[in-house]
Amino acid sequence: MNSFTFTRARTIADALRSARGDVKFLAGGTTLVDLMKLDVERPAGIIDLNALPLAEVRRTPDGGLHIGALARNSDVAHHPDVVRDYPLLSQALLSGASVQLRNMASTGGNLLQRTRCVYFRDAAMACNKRSPGSGCAAIGGFNRNLAILGTSAHCIATNPSDQNVALTALEATVHVTGSNGERSVPIGDFYLLPGQTPERETILEPGDLVTSVTLPPPAPGAGSTYVKLRDRASFEFALASAAVVVTIKGGVMQRARVAMGGIATKPWRNLDVEAALEGQPATRERFADAAQILLSDAKPQSRNGFKVELAKRCLVHALSVATAVT
Amino acid sequence: MNLQVNGKSFAATPAPGECLRVFLRDLGWFGVKKGCDAGDCGACTVWVNEKPVHSCLYPAFRAEGKEITTIEGLAKGGELHPMQRAFLDAQSFQCGYCTAGMIMTAASLSDEQKNDLPRALKGNLCRCTGYGSIRDAFAGVKNVAPDVAGGSRGASVPNPFAEAIVTGRARYTSDIPPMDGLLHLKVLRSPHAHAKILSIDRSEAMAVPGVVEVFTWEDVPRRLYSTAIHEDNRVDPDDTYLLDNVARFVGQRIVAVVADTEGAAEEGCRRLKVEYEILPAVFDPEEAMEPGAPVLHDDDGDSHILHPEKNVFLELHGEVGSVADGFAEADAIYEDTYNAPRQQHVHLETMQSIAWRAEDGRLHVRTSVQGPFIVKGKLCYLFGIMPADLHVFTERVGGGFGGKQDMMSEDLPLLATIKTGRPVKWEFTREEQFTGATTRHPMKTHVKLGAKKDGTLTAMQFRLVSNTGAYGNHGGETLANGMSGPWAIYKCPNKKGDGYAVYTNLQCGGGFRGYGTGQPTFAVESALDELAALLNVDPIEMRRKNMIGPDDKMESVLEGASDLTMGSYGLDQCVDAVEKALASGRGLPKPEGVDWLEGSGVALSMLDCVPPTEQRSGSEVALRPDGGYHFTVGSVEIGNGLVTAQQQVVAQVMGCPSARVTFLNADTDETPYDSGTFASVGMMVPTKAVENASVALREKMLAFAARTTGTKPEECRLDDGAVMCGDQRMPLAELHSAAKREGEELLCFRKAYGSPRTVAFMAYGVRLAVHRVTGEIRILFNVEAVDTGVVMNPNQVRGQVIGGVVQGIGWALQEKMVYNAAGAVVNPTLRNYRIPAFADAPVTEVFFADTYDDIGPLGAKSIAENTINPVAPAIGNALKAATGVRFTTLPFSEDRIFAKLQGFEPA
Repeated sequence: MNSFTFTRARTIADALRSARGDVKFLAGGTTLVDLMKLDVERPAGIIDLNALPLAEVRRTPDGGLHIGALARNSDVAHHPDVVRDYPLLSQALLSGASVQLRNMASTGGNLLQRTRCVYFRDAAMACNKRSPGSGCAAIGGFNRNLAILGTSAHCIATNPSDQNVALTALEATVHVTGSNGERSVPIGDFYLLPGQTPERETILEPGDLVTSVTLPPPAPGAGSTYVKLRDRASFEFALASAAVVVTIKGGVMQRARVAMGGIATKPWRNLDVEAALEGQPATRERFADAAQILLSDAKPQSRNGFKVELAKRCLVHALSVATAVT
Repeated sequence: MNLQVNGKSFAATPAPGECLRVFLRDLGWFGVKKGCDAGDCGACTVWVNEKPVHSCLYPAFRAEGKEITTIEGLAKGGELHPMQRAFLDAQSFQCGYCTAGMIMTAASLSDEQKNDLPRALKGNLCRCTGYGSIRDAFAGVKNVAPDVAGGSRGASVPNPFAEAIVTGRARYTSDIPPMDGLLHLKVLRSPHAHAKILSIDRSEAMAVPGVVEVFTWEDVPRRLYSTAIHEDNRVDPDDTYLLDNVARFVGQRIVAVVADTEGAAEEGCRRLKVEYEILPAVFDPEEAMEPGAPVLHDDDGDSHILHPEKNVFLELHGEVGSVADGFAEADAIYEDTYNAPRQQHVHLETMQSIAWRAEDGRLHVRTSVQGPFIVKGKLCYLFGIMPADLHVFTERVGGGFGGKQDMMSEDLPLLATIKTGRPVKWEFTREEQFTGATTRHPMKTHVKLGAKKDGTLTAMQFRLVSNTGAYGNHGGETLANGMSGPWAIYKCPNKKGDGYAVYTNLQCGGGFRGYGTGQPTFAVESALDELAALLNVDPIEMRRKNMIGPDDKMESVLEGASDLTMGSYGLDQCVDAVEKALASGRGLPKPEGVDWLEGSGVALSMLDCVPPTEQRSGSEVALRPDGGYHFTVGSVEIGNGLVTAQQQVVAQVMGCPSARVTFLNADTDETPYDSGTFASVGMMVPTKAVENASVALREKMLAFAARTTGTKPEECRLDDGAVMCGDQRMPLAELHSAAKREGEELLCFRKAYGSPRTVAFMAYGVRLAVHRVTGEIRILFNVEAVDTGVVMNPNQVRGQVIGGVVQGIGWALQEKMVYNAAGAVVNPTLRNYRIPAFADAPVTEVFFADTYDDIGPLGAKSIAENTINPVAPAIGNALKAATGVRFTTLPFSEDRIFAKLQGFEPA
């Protein structure tokens, strides 16, 4: 690993002041330290955030939930309010990583989790995300785990997070503070498509710090679930995953929120899919119609064509579970 | 900074960038292991304020003011933590390298988490146990039997290292305090699959602070050798140099850098400037044999390569009877091509060595290898060292599976020690295990079988192409092995086989559990089911009809007199047991829903218990002054439980409890010569030597006692702790003193040779469900029935069996090394190369055949290797039964199954 300076921030102001030049914020470290060992990240300085008072999980006045950026994934997954009112988030968190990693990993860190594309993680390979302009070895390479939606000619890397898929279906808001003050961003606007600048993954500017995530009040009477399909039962990233929240009245879907993981360059939400479900009877045929819309723009790569069908079935299955349609 | 470790306060400053694992080990807490350094395996798990974390991803600075607990701090006031006690009672380990981390996670779990172990244990990997005994620990199962005098054989006596393992005190290769002046070695590996090195500029590397020396091909003795560890070194081609001026695969070591710190050595490697002339490369063995293919080795005759111009290291051909006649009389013929890919061993302790020159002026190498004596011989040859001046030894080895049957980590540290005079350590990273070490040989088997209507085989023919990679280590022996057992298990008058071990510009194949037999077993056991289906014969009946019986000749395609002998026969019992277990309906029910399909499958396997080439060992057994026994033997304990079995053999012969027997093993200074622990020899050769020496000592003790007491020899016998001469009881301590007074030494040395060789049998059955939408496979029930002769230690043997089965499940379902077009491994991490975790390992039933082997010690024979062979084909057969589709390429990953069931091209 490269040498670097190490600073411990005592306050948020402290952290923002220190965030000058080629430095990185350190929260759980499960992504950053790993990438530093791989020589993918070589920051000149590290600012440790762990002493900041950002670990709180509490109700908001409107009945929603505030999750501090430093709240550990394990604490969030087992938090009684999350388990009761946002089981989708708990399921998603528990489907990812291991006990040890969840004890370390933070909510904010997970939001910014980097891709597991093997070419990004190997400093010897061409990767526009890691080294802009160097090309993309994944296109035409070993890409069975990579994205079929939201890709560009420059990058097809998948966003690996389970949490972020659930947060997207739950319509979370990300709260950020930085040199330009505080701002709140709907999670749907938080992530960027790779386009020509795959190195930019979010709207965050240099020196910005994610301080918390808030969730709106739980949708009354909604059914929800997180379905994750992967290569093995244990520790694995999703080939396709679906987070769905559906409210049914008289057999008709009143409100539907759908986000997909494992198939796209960012947590994937397509409003047309939700529109195709809302007002329709909760049947497998309607679910299949929505899945068709979801994948209509899919661009399979050389080795991940199976994901088109897999993702459709993943969504149909998730909607069936959430609406108890057999 | 200040922190608490195991209740003690420390003030220490971590180095910049240091992770908690390194920091804790530097403080002397060696129970914190390194398995992957990437948060995948959990071997480094410690508690930070009572919560388990991967210490390899935890910056040491973050521990300031925190309370750290390592395995060494888990016991309180001399009382083991209940989870340590549970692991001890269930003997939930084999090599024990993962145990400390596993216990740290296990001990932190709430009752709720303990009810969901597949999730709770996601962060800890074990490669030895298959998680069976770990599951037992949580269930409070006691797997140890009382250690009683005279009852050692067949008793589940505990592993002698058990307490040390569960408390973190067991010392593996790196678990010693750093020596003064210790240097760290790192290598630069080739980024090209085939290239000539034009120049190496070391100036910038030498300028890195802390870098002491740089070694290139120009700095090493230019002597050809093979890294493979075999007594008869002529079975492998001498095609390798310590460091070469030609790179033949991505990952070949090119330059070694030694420095004061690992970081400086790594930086030195980055600063090296190597100019390559890129040469054309070939990755497919069929293409490599074609005219015009790039030639890997220009052999001038010194390497013993059969056809260097065709990249063929070795060809083997043979026919018994006439397959042309056999197919002519067949009522049905089936043929297809089966692909069995690479598999990495993933022993949790990576390959590593420490070399130094001691005050005695001699050179010493502490290493993690399966054959220290052969390593010593190779090092003496390469560096021109007198044997008396070199000492090679292992302490505890964290798994092997054949991966440590090559000399890979010892030579460069020794070179650097010779050149610098300082101690030098080299520890493979996990990535290097995937890019620079060996794997199972990828093999392609074209199989053709013919049979009569009633299922009687009339002809068996195959063509086996093995990709030995850039160098031929183990290429010939695995090929020969693959052309033996898998074909000899069935009677058939007409057999023909052609085998090729072919060089390509990929990393080398090596020894791996099964040693070349698992790959063709996948083909022949799948083909047998297909043929049975064509004839409408039950697959089990098909096997019964054709498998060899106790009086049948074991005949493969390779002719010539063989010392292979059926020392015992239990294949019939194995088949019966598997059939009965599958029919019982035990196991999980099929998941609900029409999308779940269900099917069952079986497969058989037979394996030679010792290699056909030279194999020898020796053992010295002595009566200790206190009346106990001590033995020495050169074999290595790699987590297979070998020393436990050897203790039991001494105890059984002497009629004492196992705990009265102490030992020392695998040390070229202190123990007799041994060819190495591989090829299923552990029980058959070194343990046989232990038995021979024990029996000789017993006779010597009885003769001496008879003489001393004036009793007839036939009236003397050993009792626990004493010799009985008629009615007279003479304690063994007294016997020892009496012998000493008279100048009689009560110790015996005996050798054993691996000849004649016996065979071990196995049958495996599985019932599984497959989801026709997602391709997900769930193993509902599985059973392995093994014929291992007298079961010396049922608990340990069960551990070997379940461990082998789960390794087989990994190979069958999820392990896959992926190469890019340039020949580089793209998934050299445990996150992306998926060995089974607890969640992936089903509950496996184990059945022991009741046999007694005439050749092995006290009726026992080999077990560990064969266990893996029948797993993949049985799963393939069950998949076929469930889906109607035959999958001919491993692994049966979900996307492949999904794609094929949906009519897509598999990825």
